[in-house]
Amino acid sequence: MAVAKPDRSDILASRVKRYGGTLVEVVAEHEEYWRQIFHLAAADLVKTYRGSALGWLWAVIKPTVTIFVYWFAFAVGLRASNSVSGFPFSLWLISGILPWFYISEMLTQGTTTLKRYNYLVTKIKFPVSTISTFVSLSKLYVHIALTAIVIVIFIIFGYPIDVYYLQLPLYMLLMFVFFTVWSMFAAPLSAISKDFANVVSSFVMAIFWMSGIMWDVNSIKISWLSRALLFNPVTFIANGYRNVFIYKRWFFEDRFALLAFAVTLVGMTALSLYTYHRLRRDIADVL
Amino acid sequence: MTDDTVAIEFKNVSKRYKLYRSDRHRFLGIFSSRVAYKEVFANSRLSFRIDRGESVAVIGKNGAGKSTMLKMITGVVFPTTGQLTVNGRVSALLELTAGFDPEFTGRENIHLRGQIWGLEKSEITKLEKEVVEFAEIGDYIDQPMRTYSSGMKARIGFAISASINPEILVVDEALSVGDKAFREKCDAKIREIMATENVTVIFVTHSRAAAEAICNRGLVLEKGRLAFDGPITEALDYYEGPRDTTGPLNDVPVTDLGDAISDV
Repeated sequence: MAVAKPDRSDILASRVKRYGGTLVEVVAEHEEYWRQIFHLAAADLVKTYRGSALGWLWAVIKPTVTIFVYWFAFAVGLRASNSVSGFPFSLWLISGILPWFYISEMLTQGTTTLKRYNYLVTKIKFPVSTISTFVSLSKLYVHIALTAIVIVIFIIFGYPIDVYYLQLPLYMLLMFVFFTVWSMFAAPLSAISKDFANVVSSFVMAIFWMSGIMWDVNSIKISWLSRALLFNPVTFIANGYRNVFIYKRWFFEDRFALLAFAVTLVGMTALSLYTYHRLRRDIADVL
Repeated sequence: MTDDTVAIEFKNVSKRYKLYRSDRHRFLGIFSSRVAYKEVFANSRLSFRIDRGESVAVIGKNGAGKSTMLKMITGVVFPTTGQLTVNGRVSALLELTAGFDPEFTGRENIHLRGQIWGLEKSEITKLEKEVVEFAEIGDYIDQPMRTYSSGMKARIGFAISASINPEILVVDEALSVGDKAFREKCDAKIREIMATENVTVIFVTHSRAAAEAICNRGLVLEKGRLAFDGPITEALDYYEGPRDTTGPLNDVPVTDLGDAISDV
C-alpha cells in the first residue's frame, strides 16, 4: 500500500498524536475493566498456588531459601557480615532483596503473560492491556504479604516501625507502575517471538547482580558510574526499600536518583505505548 | 449514520494477514518496514449492513474468509482497514471448547467468565445455575477443566454462550456438541434464542435446508470478497453455481467439521 510521503515534522506530529491516543485508549480500558482486573488478579493468585500440597506457603518458602543461600554465601563464605548503618548484615540483605522477588517474577512471567492468558486474547473480547495489570497486581499481593513479614522480622530484631515507613507505599507504587508498564511492553513482543522471552530470562541473573541489591551503589567511588547505575530502576527500588528499613533517608533527599528513575519510567512508557500501538491488533493473529 | 436499527455494519472492511518467512522475520518486521512478507487478504473490502432481528446465512467455501469475518464480529480480531460497527451483546457458538482456564474447575470457569463479562454477583449465580443444569456433566463440574473430555468442554462452552441472552448470535453449523440427544437439546436452545424478538443471527452453513429454514438473507463469500448479498434462495443458487441442478451443493467438503478447525 503506497502512500505519499509526508515531511518529517508531519510524521512526528502524527506519531505524538497516535501514541497519545494509545495512552488514552489504555487508560480508558483500565477504567472500564477495573473490576475485572481485581477479579482476575485474585484468580491468578489462586491459580499460582493451588494444586500443591503446601499451597500458599510456597510464596514464603522460595524467598526464604533464596535469602538463606545469599546470606550463607556472603556472611559465612565471604565473611561480609559487617553491620551496615547499625543493622546486621542479614537485615540489610533482606530489605534490599525484598522487592527483587516481585521484580524477578515480573521480568519472567510478566513477559509471558499473553501466552499464559492467550484465551483472553484469541477467544474472548477482552482489553489486552489490562492482562499485564492484573498479573502484576497478583504478584503485588504476594509482595505486600512478604513486606509485612519483613516488617515483623525487623520488629523482632528490635527495630520498631518509624516515620520512614510512610514511604513504603510510594516505592511499592512506583515499582508496580514501572513493571506493569514493562510487562505491557514485553508481553506483546514475546507473543510474537520466542527469542525475546529467552533473552529476558537469560538476563534476569545479570540484572540481579548489576543492580545494587547485593552491594551498595553509593559505595562505588567512580561517580559517573554510580550515577549511571541509578538509571537502572531495579537499583532505585532496592535503594528505596533500604532507605526505608536501613538508611533512614527520604525519597526526596537523593534528587538525582528520583530524576533518573522518572526518566527511565517515561522512556519505558513511551516504548511500551509504541509496541502496544503497533502490535495490539496483530497479537490475536499470531498467538 | 448509525441508527438504532443497525446491528452490524461493515464499511469497506479488509483484513490482511502478513505472512513472514519465519518468526524471526516477523519479529524484525515490528521494527522495520523493510522486512519482506507476503500479504494475504482474508477479507477484502466487505461492505454490508445487517439490521436488528435479521437472520443471515454466510455461505462460502473453506478459506473464503467466513471465520475471519465472524472473528471480527466477535471482536477478537481487528480489521486492517475499514470501519466495523457492532451494536449489542455478541454470543458466538464457534469454538466452544476454547476460552477456558484449564486449571480452574467448570464451576470456577463459569464464575470467571461472568466476571470477565462484568456481570453482577446475582447474575453470575443465575448463570451458574443455568449452565450447570444445561450442561449435565454431573460431579465433573467441580473438577479442573484440564481433566475434561472435549465433549464436556463443549457442553460447558455451549451452555455459557447460550445463557447470556445474546442480542447477536453467531452460529457455526459445523459445531458438533456431544451426542445426539445433547445436539438436539442445543438445536432447540438455538431456535429458542432465535425466536426471541430482535435477536440478530449470523449463521454459517453449507446446508441448503438449514439455511432456508432459518435465514431469509444470504451472504456469499468468495476469496474474501462479498460475491453476493440477497434473498437466501438466490444466494444459495448463486453459490451452487449454474452447473448444479438439484442434488447436494458443489464443493461441500465431505465433513463440515474440518471447517471450524482448519479455518481458524
